[in-house]
Amino acid sequence: MAATITTAMATTGLDSWLQQATRCLAKDSTAQVQSEIREHYELARESAMNGGASADEADRLAVAALGDAKTANRQYRNVLLTSREARMLRQGNWEAQAICSRSWIKWVLLIAAAAAVFSGNEFLLRGSIMLAWKLFAGGIVIGLLFAAPFLPVYTRLGGRVFRGVRWVAMLTMLGLAFGPDAPKWSWLLFSCLWMVARPEWTRASIRRKLPVAEWPRHLYL
Amino acid sequence: MNFKGTLPTLILETLAHETSHGYRIAQQIKERSEGILDFKEGTLYPALHKLENEGMVESYEGMEKGRPRRYYRITKSGRGALTRDRAEWRELSRAMTTILGEA
Repeated sequence: MAATITTAMATTGLDSWLQQATRCLAKDSTAQVQSEIREHYELARESAMNGGASADEADRLAVAALGDAKTANRQYRNVLLTSREARMLRQGNWEAQAICSRSWIKWVLLIAAAAAVFSGNEFLLRGSIMLAWKLFAGGIVIGLLFAAPFLPVYTRLGGRVFRGVRWVAMLTMLGLAFGPDAPKWSWLLFSCLWMVARPEWTRASIRRKLPVAEWPRHLYL
Repeated sequence: MNFKGTLPTLILETLAHETSHGYRIAQQIKERSEGILDFKEGTLYPALHKLENEGMVESYEGMEKGRPRRYYRITKSGRGALTRDRAEWRELSRAMTTILGEA
């Protein structure tokens, strides 16, 4: 009876360790961690008992050998998908989804991109160089979103180049749009960029954690 | 004693000798260093996953004494990284011995 109680207490110790170590991890990642740590724990416990330790002493030693659960959690979150990343992976690229959900949005944006480039050309010919550049940059950014499926972006390098070009074009467009007034509008710029940069940061983290062979198409963009 | 950042190299070195599972890797590192190199075993698996993400090791399901185990083996790219790590370590070790040996 006493042995059963002590084993249950030690299992609770392992459960509590696992609970802390898997905090914020995705469901699949949590299952993986639980399976490998339980496997490790059982071997460590068996080895301690073979070495002459009592059941409860073996349980205590096996949990203690795992170390600090918070440290393990920090390290696991750097290499395994978190619940937020798994959600993003499931939902895909929200910008692409928003555009693809209604076919008329695609056409409006495509026409807007073409119109921006054409009018940019017109303004360039009339001598309004600044306005022409703004329109060119706007047209290129919108055009890039549409051109992606037709470009060789679905390789590691291709995707990296595409994302770099998109960021440069977007920042150029913002720089041109606000011009010397940019510092005055910095609060607005930062709020807009934050909305784009945060999911981009999460996608970068997913790219780091997933092998390239498992990348869905939207992860290249 | 725990040298920060050396665990991935120690794992690769262990796996260069034989395919192994997590617990055995941990024990072999401790045994081969005669107990000097100690680390918390909970940090072994994040390091193994990182190596796997980088293509240095690969894992597969196996059986041992009728129980399923996840085994890890070193890849060609892992062997390349290990050769580089060994060379770097020899350089560092030589430099440290030169400095500390004179102190």
